[in-house]
Amino acid sequence: MSHKDVLVEVKNLKVVFGKGKNKFIAIDDVSFDIFKGETFGLVGESGSGKTTIGRAIMRINEVREGQILYHGKKLNGKISKEWDREITQKIQMIFQDPMASLNERAKVDYIISEGLINTKNIKNEADRQQKVRNALLNVGLLPEFSSRFPHEFSGGQRQRIGIARALVMEPEFIIADEPISALDVSIRAQVLNLLANLQQQNDLTYLFIAHDLSVVRFITDRTAVIYKGKIVELAETEKLFTNPIHPYTRALLSAVPEPNPYKERDKVVEIYDPSQHRYDIQPPSFFEIEEGHFVLANEEELERYRTSLKMEVSK
Amino acid sequence: MTQTNSPILTIQNLVIKFTLRGRVLMAIRNISLDLYKGESLAIVGESGSGKSVLMKSIMGLLDKNGHIDQGQILYNNQDLAQFRTEREWLSIRGKEVAMVTQDPMTSLNPLKTIGKQIEECVHLHQSLKGKAAYEETLKLLKDVGIYDVEKRYKQYPHEFSGGMRQRIVIAIALACKPKILICDEPTTALDVTIQAQILQLLKNLQQKYGLTTVYITHDLGVVAKVADRIAVMYAGDIVEVGKTHEIFFNGKHPYTWALISSLPQLGSKGQQLYSIKGTPPNLFQEIKGDAFAPRNQYALKIDFVERPPFFQVSDTHYARTWLLDPLAPKVEPPEALQEFFAEGRRYAHES
Repeated sequence: MSHKDVLVEVKNLKVVFGKGKNKFIAIDDVSFDIFKGETFGLVGESGSGKTTIGRAIMRINEVREGQILYHGKKLNGKISKEWDREITQKIQMIFQDPMASLNERAKVDYIISEGLINTKNIKNEADRQQKVRNALLNVGLLPEFSSRFPHEFSGGQRQRIGIARALVMEPEFIIADEPISALDVSIRAQVLNLLANLQQQNDLTYLFIAHDLSVVRFITDRTAVIYKGKIVELAETEKLFTNPIHPYTRALLSAVPEPNPYKERDKVVEIYDPSQHRYDIQPPSFFEIEEGHFVLANEEELERYRTSLKMEVSK
Repeated sequence: MTQTNSPILTIQNLVIKFTLRGRVLMAIRNISLDLYKGESLAIVGESGSGKSVLMKSIMGLLDKNGHIDQGQILYNNQDLAQFRTEREWLSIRGKEVAMVTQDPMTSLNPLKTIGKQIEECVHLHQSLKGKAAYEETLKLLKDVGIYDVEKRYKQYPHEFSGGMRQRIVIAIALACKPKILICDEPTTALDVTIQAQILQLLKNLQQKYGLTTVYITHDLGVVAKVADRIAVMYAGDIVEVGKTHEIFFNGKHPYTWALISSLPQLGSKGQQLYSIKGTPPNLFQEIKGDAFAPRNQYALKIDFVERPPFFQVSDTHYARTWLLDPLAPKVEPPEALQEFFAEGRRYAHES
C-alpha cells in the first residue's frame, strides 16, 4: 500500500466553529493520507466530526489551521482561479439523503448537467445530452428518465441520480457521505456494487464516510476511526477489524450487532470510558505502532498497546 | 424463549386496504400470526412491506384512508378488528399495547419537561396523583437507566441526547403498564454504541416487567440480538416465520435467502455483493401467486399462478414457498449462504 501515490494529504487539520465563548473545536490536529485508487473509510459517531472533514476537503468548511493538499498542491485558503476550477471538477460529493439532495423542481436532465453548465465543460447541446445519457447509463438508469422529476423515483434510483450527477464531471476523487444509510437492505447492496464497479471503470478514489461498520469493512481498503474531532486509530481495514488497539475502536466494534443469534447472545459490549486516559500528565500523539497502523496514545499507553498487540499476533 | 405459552394476541386472515386517489392499495394481504406471551418477536422486511401498518392496526392507529377489510385481531377475548370508536381503542392503546417509535427527536413534546410528560401517562394509566405519581415517575426514570433523576425530571427534551431521549420515550411507554410493547425501528436513528445500550435496556426491561415485545426492523444484526422469533414480510404478506436461529441458519424462502445474502458481512472484498434484482411489486395491482416470484431466480411455474400455502418445516418454523412442496425440484440455497448456514450449525452444536 505504501508504494502508492498519495492523492490527498490532510496535515494537522483544525476546523473551528464559532468565536470566543462559543468556540467549538470540531476537528483537532487531524492528519492522514489518501492513496490514489483506494477507498478510505472514515467512521465515528454522530458529532465526531467525520462529515466536517469531508466538507473541509470540499472547501465548504473553513480550515482554521493546517492544510489539505491535493496532488501535492494546496487546496485550502487562497488559490488561483485555474486550480480552483480544476478541483471543483475533480472532487465531487455524494450525499446521504437522496430525498433532500436533489432539486425537486428540476428535471433529472438539468440536475445532472448543472455542474457541466457551471464549469462550462460542454462544447454544445449535443455534447451535453450525450454526457447526461452516458452518466445515466453508467449508473444503471435509462436515458429516458432524464425528462422526469426526482419525486418520480424510488430511494435507490434517486441515489443513482446523485451518483450520476457526480460522475458526469469526470472526477478523480469522490467524497461519499453516508451514501447508503438512507436506503433499504436490498437496495444498499445494489448501490454498493455500483460504487465498486464505477471505481474500477473510472479509476476513482473514494473517501467513504459512514457509521455502519459492516459496510465500511466490506468496501474500504483503509479506515480511520474518529472520536470527538481526533483520529484515534488508522489502519488497513481488515487489520483494524481483527486487531483493534485503541479502547474506543474496540468499544465501537464490539457494539456492532452481527447477524448471528448465537454470537449475539453471549457477546459482551465493551464500554469506552475516556477518563481512562491520563492525558493531563502526558499528552498523546499519533504513533505508528506497526506498519501502516496508527494509534493515538501517550508513551505509557503505547507500551501497553505494543504488548497487547504482540500477544494478539502470537495467538 | 417460552414457546409453550399461549398466544396473547392472534391475528387471523387480516386484510388491510388503503384508498389513495380513488385507487385501492392492499397493504396487508391475508396475514395470520400468533404472538406468544413473554416472547420477543421481530418483524423483518423492506420499507413498504407493511410491517409498520400491521403493528399500527393492532393499536388502531391506521391512517384515515386505511381500514381493516377482513380478518380478526383477537386480544383478551375481544376482536380488535371490530373496533370503530376511539373510546374502544382507548381501552387498548397504551394500557395494553404501547409503542416506542423510531425518532426520539419528534416523539417528545418540546414544550414540556420530560418529567411532566411521563407523569401524564402515570396519572392517566395508573390513576396516581401528586406525590405518588411523582415517585412513580422517578422510579421509571431510574428503570430506564437515567441518573440524577430529580434534576432530570425538570429538564426539557432538547437538553437530552438522542439515546437519552429514546430512554424517556421508553419510560413513557412503560408508564402505561402495557402487556405488549411494540418497538418500531427503536434504534435506527442512534449510533451503534448507543444502539447496543438501548437494546440491552429493552431486553432487561422485558424481563423485569414481563413484557411481550415486537420489534419492527430491517436490521438483521439487531434482530439477532433481541429476537426469539422472526416473521419475514414481503409485499404485505408473511413469507416465513420461525425461531431466530431457524430463520438465520435454516431459512427456506428465497426472499429470506436474498435478504441475508445481501448483508455486507457475507460479501467478500473485491467481489460483487449479492443484490436482489428488480423492485418490490406494485400493491395497487392484484398480486397473483408468490409476490416475490418475478425477482426470484428459483421461481417455479406455479409461483406465478397460485399463492403458496405455509409449509411446515418444524414445530415452530413455517415458510410460504412452493419449493417445500414434495413435488418441487430440490433447490440448494446460494453458495455464500451455505457457508453461513454451516457456521450457524457449528455454533448450534457448541451451545
